[in-house]
Formats: sequence, structure tokens, C-alpha cells
Amino acid sequence: MKYYLKLGGILLAICAIATGVLAYVNSVTEPKIAALKAEESIESREKLIPGCDFEEVVLRDDFSYFIARDKETKELKGYTFTAQKKGYSSIIKTMAGLDPEFRVIGIKIIDQGETPGLGANCVTDSFTAQFKGKTPDKLAVKKDGGDIKSITGATITSRAIAASLSEEIQAIKADLAKKQEVAE
Amino acid sequence: MRFFYEIVKGLIKENPMFVLVLGTCPTLAVSTSVINALGMGAAVTFVVICSNIIISLIKDIVPSSIRIPIFIVVIAAFVSVVDMTMAAFLPPLHKALGIFIPLIVVNCVILGRAEAFASKNNVLYSLADGLGMGMGATLSLTIVATIREILGSGTWLGIRVMPNSYEPMLVAILAPGAFFTLGFLMALMNRLKEKRS
Amino acid sequence: MTYIGEIFVIAMSAIFIQNFLLSRFLGLCPFLGVSTKIDSAFGMGMAVIFVMTLTASITYLINVYLLGPYAYLQTIAFILTIAALVQFVEMVIQKNAPALYKSLGVYLPLITTNCAVLGVAILNTTAVRSDGVTPYNFLDSTLNGFFSGVGFTVVLLAMAGIRQRLGLVTLPKYMRGMPIALILAGIMALAFYGFMGFKL
Repeated sequence: MKYYLKLGGILLAICAIATGVLAYVNSVTEPKIAALKAEESIESREKLIPGCDFEEVVLRDDFSYFIARDKETKELKGYTFTAQKKGYSSIIKTMAGLDPEFRVIGIKIIDQGETPGLGANCVTDSFTAQFKGKTPDKLAVKKDGGDIKSITGATITSRAIAASLSEEIQAIKADLAKKQEVAE
Repeated sequence: MRFFYEIVKGLIKENPMFVLVLGTCPTLAVSTSVINALGMGAAVTFVVICSNIIISLIKDIVPSSIRIPIFIVVIAAFVSVVDMTMAAFLPPLHKALGIFIPLIVVNCVILGRAEAFASKNNVLYSLADGLGMGMGATLSLTIVATIREILGSGTWLGIRVMPNSYEPMLVAILAPGAFFTLGFLMALMNRLKEKRS
Repeated sequence: MTYIGEIFVIAMSAIFIQNFLLSRFLGLCPFLGVSTKIDSAFGMGMAVIFVMTLTASITYLINVYLLGPYAYLQTIAFILTIAALVQFVEMVIQKNAPALYKSLGVYLPLITTNCAVLGVAILNTTAVRSDGVTPYNFLDSTLNGFFSGVGFTVVLLAMAGIRQRLGLVTLPKYMRGMPIALILAGIMALAFYGFMGFKL
């Protein structure tokens, strides 16, 4: 009996030391990881629509968009949002900027875990650049009657990105129209 | 002298991947590009060195009946340290390696070295063994990744090495390509081994 | 979608589309080591299904109710759970079902270091249902563990069947053993890519 208590004690001591070390490392790295994430989304937002103040509008629990107004003239410059949808093997998060007429200014894939060499190529400029200037009704892959050329061998990924964007643009449009009605 | 022997043996004579066939999962999964392979190799090397040192330090106070759980806790602690550090300082690499960082815990190379070497040898030799095994694992990862990246993307470390007319052989960076590459490399190893003896 | 449909999606993805061995590269050590005979492959497969199902459900509870803010302890907590669980299962089977222990016993200790088991525990923490938002609940996680184990066993058995036949053919000298097993696995992985097109 005493022997087993001793074994348990040693195991417990080792676990306690390990937990202590991890707690320390976590306290150092956690704020850094959080800061990195926040910084990244602010940075990409400002790259899409530069020189603006952003006002957040919460639309659903898991989705909000930002209204961008010029820092000085307060003129409406557009909207930004992050859409997400399940692609082939991961959830793809795409940040997009829209102009006041809801045409895409640019997009940036901020998170994805698609197949390397296939779906993961969605981060390349050659894929993202073609979204520029597209209206929501053209945001679909060519197979589905849209204007987006899908990535070779990764239709599911391309489709998910295009669909997530056009769905959220519709949602934002509807929300803004509703607000305008109320204001009038 | 023995110190250097312990380092060098891990590279070729007892290469964990090609000779001992341990730790196949990460070798196949993250070898899609050379940069991933180097990152994974560095993570494994760090964990195997640290766990070897600690285990050889505590080997005398650990009762043999519970040594395996204790080794696992030590290894898991270092793996978590690597995981968090990478997430904070090298986020893109952390993302690319994904689930295979926590899975270093069950990489047979590390527990295997703890059990077979570090629990029987002093700190200095354990360090050398860890360094050698880590470098051996990195070497084999890099070789597999080099073949797959050149064939599958036409690049090496992200730099284009194949002529522009080369149409990348996609299968090489997909799952089947990993198996084929490793299969042929092992056949080559068999041949080299026989030639020498 | 009804829940039956959801179960179907989990089963299809775990067994075919995202097969642990051939597309996720998890659990390859036992796959290459124990796939020389159908009998032992079957024993290993059953042991893995059993442990993976239990692990998936227990680690789900640990992750949701115990870890909470201490997510950085996830790796350590999961691997200790698995090690303890395997030990426990081994003891229970040995005492209550000696016949089963005789056929599964030797494979159980090997399972602690099978990365498919830790893999399913970790994957379940971030997995979402087919709608892309709802995280897995307790039942989803358990089912995912079970079906992933089934996927592992299906491929393991197929491989063992092929390798048993391989004994009858003449192979180039240097390809015998491990190299040909890996190339076979590659061909099987190619075949499994056929399931990729399914949109569930």
C-alpha cells in the first residue's frame, strides 16, 4: 500500500512540475498570440480600405461587418467583413472589402487548412486577384455560372470562398436596406 | 570521442526514419514542402534533446514500474512548450504543421530514445543521442520533402528550380506521393546497405 | 438536415473521404507493423475501434468540462487519459474476458503510442458538423471516434489481405518488405482519392 502511495506521489509531483512550467510558458505566449491575431485583422482591414475609420455593426452572433468612412471627410468608403465557410477539409475565413456599390475591392484569405498544393493555393494572388471589381451576382465559380475561375483540382474550395462572400454581401445589403427604411 | 559517435550514429547508421522505421506519420504528413520539414525537424530535435536530458537526470529517482507514464508527461510538457512558442513566434509554420505538433508526443522516436537510451545513460551522452536522433529525423524529413516539393511544385524552399515549362506533378504532394516517395527511398536504402556489407 | 443524415456524413468522412491512414497519415506505425497477417490485423483493428471510441467520448468530456481555460494542458491531459484508459481496458478485459484478452491483449499496449488515438481526440476539439458552424457534441465526437476506428480497420484489413498474397509473388529483391508495403499504401491512397469528389 505504502509503495503505491509513493508511486502516486512521484507521478503527481512530476505532473505538478510540468503543469507549473506550462502555466508559465502559457502566461508568456498567450498575450502574444492574442495580440498577433488582433493585429492581423486590423492590418488587413486597413490594407483593403486605407485611410478610414471603421465602425462595427454586429449582424449575428458569429458575424459582424465594418462600415468604413474616410478619416477626415467622413465620406462613406465601403464595407469590410470576414466571411467563413467550410471548404474541403477546413473552415476558410476570407476577409473582403467592398465599395459603397457593393463591388469587391479586394479579398484576403486569413485562415485555411486546405490540401497543400490544391485547395491551399487559394491564398495565391492569381486566385484572389480575380475577385477585384466583381459584383455579388458574379461571385460564383464558372461551373455555376459566375466569373470566378476555380483553382485547379479544388472546385470545392473555390466554391466555398465565392459562396461565403456572396452570402454575406447579401446579408449586409439586406441589413443596410432595412436600416435605411427605418431612417426614412 | 564517444560523444561524437552518439551524435553521428543517428544521422545514418541508426537513422530513426529509414533504418528504425519510427515516426512515419509526421515524415509522410508534413513533408509536402522543405520549409515544413525543417520546422518539424527542429521541433522534434528540440523535444528529443530536452526530454533525453531530463529523463537521464531523473532516471535514478523514477521507479521502473511507472517510468512510461512519467516519460510521457515529460515529453508532453516539452511538446506543449514547442506548440505554444511556435504559435506565438512563427504562426504560419504553426498553421502549416497543425495537428502534427501535439502529435510529436506519440512520435515513437522520442519515447523510444527515452526508454532505450536516456534511461540508461548519463546526461552528456543522452544529449548527444538526442541531438543525433533529432538531426537524423530532420535529415530524412528533408530528403523526402525535397523530392516531393521539386516534383510536386517545381520549387525548393519556395524557390523555383524546375524550368517554367515543367508542369508540376501534383500527385507528389498529395497523400499517395508521400507513400511512393518513401517506398522508393527505402528500397534505395536496402540496396545501399547490401552493397556496403 | 436530420440527425441520421449527420451520422451518415460523419461515417462517410471518417471511413472513406478523410481516412485516418490514407489521407490524414495518422496511425501509420501499427499500419505498417501489424499488417502482415489478416488475423493480427483484425485483432489490432478491433482493439483500436474500442479504444478510439472510448477515448473520443472521455476526452470530449475532459475538454469541455475540465480544461476550459486551461487549454494549454490539452496535450498532456489527453495523452495521460489515453495511457490510463489503455491500461484500464487491459486490466478489465484480462479479468473478465480472458478469451478476448488472449486475442487483443498484445495489441493494447501498442495503442498508447498510436497517433490515430490522440489524433481523433485533438481533431474532435475543433471539428464542426457539415453546416460548418456547429461544433461536435458528445454523441458526434463519440461517433467520430468509432467510425474513424472503423476506417482504420477497413484499410488495415485490406492491406493485410494484399500483403498475405504478396508472399506468393516474386518481387525485386530490394522492394521486399517495407518498400513494397509503402507503395501499396500509395496505390490504395490513390484509390481512396476517388471518394474525394463526394460533397456531403
